[in-house]
Amino acid sequence: MTMSAISQAGERDRLIVKLREIDWVLCMMLAAIAGIGTLMLYSIAGGKWAPWADHHLGLFVVCFIGMIALATVDLRVWFTLAYPVYGLGLLLLLAVAVIGHTSLGAKRWIGAGGFQIQPSEFIKLGLVMALARFYHGLSAARARWSWSLLIPAALILVPAALVARQPDLGTAILIAATGAIVMIFAGLSPRVVGAAVAAVALGAPLAFAFVLKAYQRARLLTFLNPEADRSGAGYHIIQSEIALGSGGLMGKGLGLGTQSQLNFLPEKSTDFIFASMAEELGFIGCATVLAIYAAIILVSLRTAAIAHSHFGRLATAGITATFALCVLINGAMVMGLAPVVGVPMPLLSYGGTVMIAMMAGFALVLSVRVHRYSEVTSVVGPFV
Amino acid sequence: MEPSLFLDDVNERQGMFQRRAIVFGALGAAGLAALGGRLAQLQLFESTRYRALSEHNQFVFVLSPPPRGLILDRNGLVLASNRPDFRLLLAADEKTDVDAVLADLAKLLPLDDAQIQRVKDLVEDAPRKAPVAIVEDMSWDEFSRVNVRAPELPGVTADMGEVRVYPYSASFAHVLGYVAKVSAADVSKTGPNSDPILLNPGFRIGKQGIEKTYDLDLRGRPGAKKVEVDVKGRVVGHDPAGDVPPTPGAAIKLTLDADIQNHALEVFGEESGAAVMMDCRNGDVLCLLSAPSFDANGFVKGWTRPEYKALAEYDRKPLYNKALTANYPPGSTFKTLAALAALENGFDPGRVYVCGGVWNYGGRPWHCDKAHGALNLHDAIKQSCDIYFFQAALTLGPDRLARMARSFGLGQKYDIGVGDQRAGLVPDAAYKRRAFPRDPVWHAGETPSYGIGQGYLSVNALQLCVMCARLANGGVALNPRLIHSIGDVVQPSGASAPALSVSQDHIAFVRDAMVAVVESGTAAKVAKLDLGDIHMAGKTGTAQSHTYAAGSHGAHGAQGAWSQRDHAWFIAFAPHDAPRYAMSVLVEHGGFGADAAAPKAVEIMRRALLKDPEIRDRITRPPPAPPKPPMESAA
Repeated sequence: MTMSAISQAGERDRLIVKLREIDWVLCMMLAAIAGIGTLMLYSIAGGKWAPWADHHLGLFVVCFIGMIALATVDLRVWFTLAYPVYGLGLLLLLAVAVIGHTSLGAKRWIGAGGFQIQPSEFIKLGLVMALARFYHGLSAARARWSWSLLIPAALILVPAALVARQPDLGTAILIAATGAIVMIFAGLSPRVVGAAVAAVALGAPLAFAFVLKAYQRARLLTFLNPEADRSGAGYHIIQSEIALGSGGLMGKGLGLGTQSQLNFLPEKSTDFIFASMAEELGFIGCATVLAIYAAIILVSLRTAAIAHSHFGRLATAGITATFALCVLINGAMVMGLAPVVGVPMPLLSYGGTVMIAMMAGFALVLSVRVHRYSEVTSVVGPFV
Repeated sequence: MEPSLFLDDVNERQGMFQRRAIVFGALGAAGLAALGGRLAQLQLFESTRYRALSEHNQFVFVLSPPPRGLILDRNGLVLASNRPDFRLLLAADEKTDVDAVLADLAKLLPLDDAQIQRVKDLVEDAPRKAPVAIVEDMSWDEFSRVNVRAPELPGVTADMGEVRVYPYSASFAHVLGYVAKVSAADVSKTGPNSDPILLNPGFRIGKQGIEKTYDLDLRGRPGAKKVEVDVKGRVVGHDPAGDVPPTPGAAIKLTLDADIQNHALEVFGEESGAAVMMDCRNGDVLCLLSAPSFDANGFVKGWTRPEYKALAEYDRKPLYNKALTANYPPGSTFKTLAALAALENGFDPGRVYVCGGVWNYGGRPWHCDKAHGALNLHDAIKQSCDIYFFQAALTLGPDRLARMARSFGLGQKYDIGVGDQRAGLVPDAAYKRRAFPRDPVWHAGETPSYGIGQGYLSVNALQLCVMCARLANGGVALNPRLIHSIGDVVQPSGASAPALSVSQDHIAFVRDAMVAVVESGTAAKVAKLDLGDIHMAGKTGTAQSHTYAAGSHGAHGAQGAWSQRDHAWFIAFAPHDAPRYAMSVLVEHGGFGADAAAPKAVEIMRRALLKDPEIRDRITRPPPAPPKPPMESAA
């Protein structure tokens, strides 16, 4: 009866029906990742809840409840809020540029009554929503190639530029990539995609020489040859590879990872938590976590594919792309396949803003699935 | 409402999206698969290599200093050992706020400004992150208090080291020397002193005496402790299975007897001088004392400036080893050799000279203590008549005297393991040619005083003891041995020495005269052993400490300011009939040998004789001698 209930216009607004339609498998997979994250944070703190595991788990529980609540919010409300959320995100980014405070040489944070937030994490969700909202009202032909595409281009480049100025090149590239992927999902002409890829390939060396700051260049060079500077910039990569490799098949066991317990591993609670896990839980643990990530991505993509509304489709795809990019970039970085950029492993890494933004994104994904039969609106244009 | 997007357009958007979603899904899956492949490469195929790297990160070897070898006396009594030392180390780098750390420490420990300044100097001199000792010799109470708090103090660790201790520090200070902290001059670029263990905090190196000479034997070989460190190098664990134990230093056993040596120091009290005793059968040195002494433990700890100044400036010079470096003319003790040299050169022992108290030669008067009247050689030794020996010397000349002096061990250094020695001088005609280019001739007027052990002749207490031992043992040229064994390796005995080509009769003549010195001669009242039929034989001597004004030679030796008085010598051996122990005593500025030196020799000799079981048997034996062969055969 469930299928029929959700497909009937009258029935599908009932809360109980919506709750039944929530993708609980996806929820459990998210909880599994956050649970493993909590376990690792407990372990690397030397078997203590403080200072990370307690916060991580607590925030996840709060976010999880919030996510379920938001999942029942009608997709039309999400649709209506798309531009305002994006606008708010942009305002916060501007605020960071003006009043944000500096940490580790970069202005990324603003304080709000005892809380520290990183607006660059929220703008990813805002951007995805705004792009989905825009394309919802755009015909396939115009989405392929038209002057209208200057608008999504601007929506992407403005926050990307602001984040790059912080400077946080990793997140800026992530934002730009997410936006580009949404544009491709929306139907951008393959020729334009090909031209853009070619332009990036040609422009990257120029950007390396003229745009990047010295430390960013150093990071890239270090990535290419970490052995050249063992105790300096290459240190992170080498120590991370040692952590991974020494874990072996079964791992050294919880709490027994010398690389993380003795602090040889940098940023062990945040960007390099995957390495800590690899050391203590081994290939088995890593493969399990990667499989769960893969399942989350595929389940989300399927939700996008079955959504009736173009807004729901593109929003879900964009959020999934953000998530997948985070996993791939962080994984590649930890394994020495990509330069060290500040991209966390979603839900595994310690970090409040990232988790809130990520869980809000999955709230939208769940909502799209709950409201997959909703057309949202048959609007006439991108801004009506 | 009319939809603005036509149905086929909607379908086109959906179809496009689904096709592209498949492509992206495949790309994502490929990416994740690539990560999985890389994981497999690292964790499954190269795991062994990375595991080794991880161990290399986690464990480091730190040097563990070897326990320094003990130094023992002949009976195994410990003269130098090691005791635990609770100390506090600070390993600072440029980020360490040394002032703040010390200020925090001052809340836990009494640290005065001078100490704080000293630590700051040490930290400045030390290589980066090389630990320096902030405080040593903490009480257990202080140690545990700091140990609990140490993790909060950056770079501070509390640990237990070992430090040298000298239980009988004063009696043995000069022979053993001492260890002290390694200074920059001690470290060399190559060789054993380039060992990094020298930089270990609290490591000490032999600076004087036996501690210096046998430093490498005593030092041992450092081991290593396998410790687990965190990324900051702080030790967080210890893997005892991976330790390489240090090789302890070899124990060194001396020939010295702590009883005799300690007693000798007591006998000297605050007087300045030296006492050396040898077993004249094998050359073992039983006593090698220099007085007054000092506390060698002070050097281990490091003296404060005023303490060191007081020691260095004290006019009785406690820091010098007077047994080996205080070289003076032997005075009348040399008459023994002068007599022997005369006899060997055909001098008739019955020859009589008349001593009238003054003897004129070379246009000036030569004085004697008193007018001895007519004397033969035996009585001249017994009475120590200068005028007899002035004339006896003239029959010999300097070269014959010098040859005898050298063959009896004067004017040379001995390989006893204590480096700081002065050879002194045995003059002869060649010496005069060498040392006095303006007056390269030995004048006859220089010979008479040679006969009474004055003039250029200069000896130390060890040499006189060797001389006495060679007289006592009948002319065996034995050498002194101070080191009995190093580890298990016994050092060659001094007894395996050739006999001197000197007539036994002539030596017996001199020995008899030395017996007479104690019986009824210059030491008649002062050198009685009071041990039954065991007597001591000896010879007194007095060495001028400065040139007297003309005509004032005589009984001024023991008068006037301390630093102006004569040096007193006494040489002795006992038992007189079967010599075992030979000794020499020097009392600086003590006046006459008979008064100042002989009583000390008696005291020290008694201690040695009473410790000797065979001698004790002989003393306690009932008067009628049992039918047993004489004692010498037992030696």
